[in-house]
Amino acid sequence: MAEREEGFGISTASPSTALPVATEVASDGGYTAGPVLVATDVVVSYGGVHAVDRVSISVARGEIVGVIGPNGAGKSSFLGALGGQVKRSGGDISLLGKDISSMLPHQRARLGLARTFQTTSEFAKMTVFENLITSGEGNAGASLKEVVLHPRKTAQRERAMTDRAWEILQRFEMEHTVNLYGRELSGGQRRLVEIMRCLMRDPAVLLLDEPMVGVAPHLTGKLIEDLRAIRRDGLGIVIVEHALEVVRQLCDRVVVMAFGKVIAQGSFEEVVQDASVQAAYLS
Amino acid sequence: MLSQLLASAADGIVLAAIIAVAAMGFTLQFGLTNVLNLSFGSVMTIGGFTAYLANVAGLSAWLGMLLGGVAGGLATIALGRGVLRLYARRRTQLFEMMMVTLGLSLVIDYGLQSISQNAIYGYTVLQASPVRLGPIVLTPIQLFIVLLAIVILVVVEAALKFTKLGKALRATAVEPSLARSCGIQTGRVVLITWTISGFLCGLAGVVYIISTQSVDYSTGELFLPLIIAAAILGGVGSLRGAVVAAVVMGIVTEVVAGFGGAAYSTVAGFAILVVVLLLRPGSVSGGAEDRQLVL
Amino acid sequence: MSVWVFYISTLVIYFGVDLLAGIALNLQFGYAGVVNFGFIVFQAAGAYMAAVVVLGPSGGVASFQQYIFGSRLPFPLDLVAAAVAGAVVSLVIGLFSLRRMRRDYQAAVLLIVSLIALQVVSADVPLFNGSNGLTGVTWPLGQIVGVTATGAPVIYAAWTLAIAAIVFAAVYWLSKSPWGRSLRAMRDHEDAASAMGLNITSLRLQVFVIGGAIAGLSGGLLVEYIGAWSPGAWGYAETFVIFTAIFVGGVGNYRGVIVGVLLVPVIFLELPRFLPAVGYPGLIDSLQWVTIGLAWMLCLLFRPRGILPEKRMEVTKPAGVPGPAVVPSEGGA
Repeated sequence: MAEREEGFGISTASPSTALPVATEVASDGGYTAGPVLVATDVVVSYGGVHAVDRVSISVARGEIVGVIGPNGAGKSSFLGALGGQVKRSGGDISLLGKDISSMLPHQRARLGLARTFQTTSEFAKMTVFENLITSGEGNAGASLKEVVLHPRKTAQRERAMTDRAWEILQRFEMEHTVNLYGRELSGGQRRLVEIMRCLMRDPAVLLLDEPMVGVAPHLTGKLIEDLRAIRRDGLGIVIVEHALEVVRQLCDRVVVMAFGKVIAQGSFEEVVQDASVQAAYLS
Repeated sequence: MLSQLLASAADGIVLAAIIAVAAMGFTLQFGLTNVLNLSFGSVMTIGGFTAYLANVAGLSAWLGMLLGGVAGGLATIALGRGVLRLYARRRTQLFEMMMVTLGLSLVIDYGLQSISQNAIYGYTVLQASPVRLGPIVLTPIQLFIVLLAIVILVVVEAALKFTKLGKALRATAVEPSLARSCGIQTGRVVLITWTISGFLCGLAGVVYIISTQSVDYSTGELFLPLIIAAAILGGVGSLRGAVVAAVVMGIVTEVVAGFGGAAYSTVAGFAILVVVLLLRPGSVSGGAEDRQLVL
Repeated sequence: MSVWVFYISTLVIYFGVDLLAGIALNLQFGYAGVVNFGFIVFQAAGAYMAAVVVLGPSGGVASFQQYIFGSRLPFPLDLVAAAVAGAVVSLVIGLFSLRRMRRDYQAAVLLIVSLIALQVVSADVPLFNGSNGLTGVTWPLGQIVGVTATGAPVIYAAWTLAIAAIVFAAVYWLSKSPWGRSLRAMRDHEDAASAMGLNITSLRLQVFVIGGAIAGLSGGLLVEYIGAWSPGAWGYAETFVIFTAIFVGGVGNYRGVIVGVLLVPVIFLELPRFLPAVGYPGLIDSLQWVTIGLAWMLCLLFRPRGILPEKRMEVTKPAGVPGPAVVPSEGGA
């Protein structure tokens, strides 16, 4: 964590690593620091077709940016390009001032990027508790060498992960589920496990791919509250979401995509008034 | 040097024709159902043994080919309609389906081994004096095999493109649920595909044993790597791709066999597959989980 | 020595060898989700390596068997060489087959590796004497104490079980460690695991190489007892005996692996070898394979979790953590 703050400090202080779209960042909610995640002209193409066509975005600490658009607009592909799951064919992505464009997903994750998936990605045959401690930033199990050669350090890390897991479980009132397998959870609980798993990593940026899908309607309000609480930790959130009401309640800024391109951006109220946005949704 | 290269290339074309017949059947099946059918080689062996029995019974080799194809078709329908449906009802995932076909191939292979008393049976029919074209020496039956592959390619391609059934098949392969809601009887389409691909599979088995002049329980199993390689190399579901891939693999295999050692000829074909798997974006994970079982 | 002692000892030795294979395959498949359809190749690599480093320098083309790497290594280097051979072959095959590839292609590629390796070794005589295989392999450790493997089968059985027990303990510990947990995360959801900072490629390669080394070791132990090794011993189908064993026993559960290895390879395959012959020679062998195939298919149909399924790791809230005490809810939904 300390290391990350430092990297962040350097990226804003040093002009040599000046970020291209830094000036566009909205300074609402009192989070005036520079952006944590900047994507410039990202292109994703499948067999010659541009699913994502020169999309740029920048996210500041404590900011929630919504990405909306009709089906097939390329939202999930864009999120995949940010996370490294989808191969990017052009553009640059930087996280805390570091260029992560050609990094593998786990390398991006270790630098502070965490994400959830459109279909919930809980580890189905592991308990909720195991889901959490395996995902922690200090998970010793990521390295065979560490586990075999430094058993004491491993045990220490395990204890730290355990404490952190209980802390997070308590925060989300999920302690009663610790021993349930991922596959035994309800849709909403799975979403929460995904998010808790991300928080185990103390990420700088959180990417959420349709977090409300599969969540029982009476629980969405709770999940929205939780996400608001998370943003107070000071991380930047990018959220792809279909439910516009959720976007309205959560997002500081909204980017609208259609056919792989950004067709509008601004506050929720601004973009829903936009004629091209209305046309895209109606078509 | 050049003459040996030409001779090897000619042998390669013949091998390619055999691979192509099987790979076309394989790719049709795989492209539509998404099940990587590892029992395909065993069904080939069934076709081969059927032709052998027909020969023993005194039937002509041509009838043997037909019967081999029919046996392959019946075996494949039994696999698709009987076995795989049984598993589909229990919501078996695509990957497990592949494991099921593997178990089935054990059952067929070793069932044939016990029936055939683990012996190698000679199959020498349709031998005629070879045709010479400079350094290239081919038997009429080899020429026939090449011709057969070309005819099958043209006929099946045309059927896919121009007939109503072909269009239905392509639509089902792309988006089964959409095809179903458009009124296409996907079940029937799949059944017909099983039949055609099974027929091609059995036929390939017969053609293969005509070429090697012997059949035993492991005939198809040893040929399976080449089929899978050609189907994947050519792009799953593409007949033309499978044929082009078969030509490449056939020639490489025979040239390596002609110049290096027979031991490494299949390795060469396999090396191509590996390179392709590493380079081809479609073979990379991610897509596989989105695919669905079509039965 | 009575026939029964020899018979039981032989079964125990096969049990030990198959247990090693089962442990390795369970680590790869049950924990890491790596479907190694070419597993038997790694056992074969170990067996050949152990054979050639015990047999001494090759007599070349003139002698009745020829091979590469011929030498006479003292114990324990023979078994070390076997394990290293398994690991190196795994590393080479793993480097190209374990890249990010569709899972079904990956499994098919490993199966094809198994089919082709067999063809190459059978056809290329200078390598390991082709389809005739190698014979006359002795037991280096036995020579030190002055016994032969078949002369003192009880001792060899004890020796095999001891090694199997040590490897079992080591793999058990590893798979219950945080590293083993990372493997399970990778098995359950590869994308999520890598998004949580796990290096999938290296985890997979690690588990592949460790499994390969154990497979190689098991091959070495087997060849030093039976004294010979040829392509007939490692057909692609052999892999599926071990797979069926862990399916039957319970994927991801080590007690299940023991049960499965007792049931499937020993009872199905080894016991009937000692039965009177029926039909033509080899009929029983063929029918055994048919049985294995059927068992495999039935496992997939009825009991995908096996006799002893994977155990749930339960935790209770430690006293030190603030907040109200919580009783974790029990069991399934």
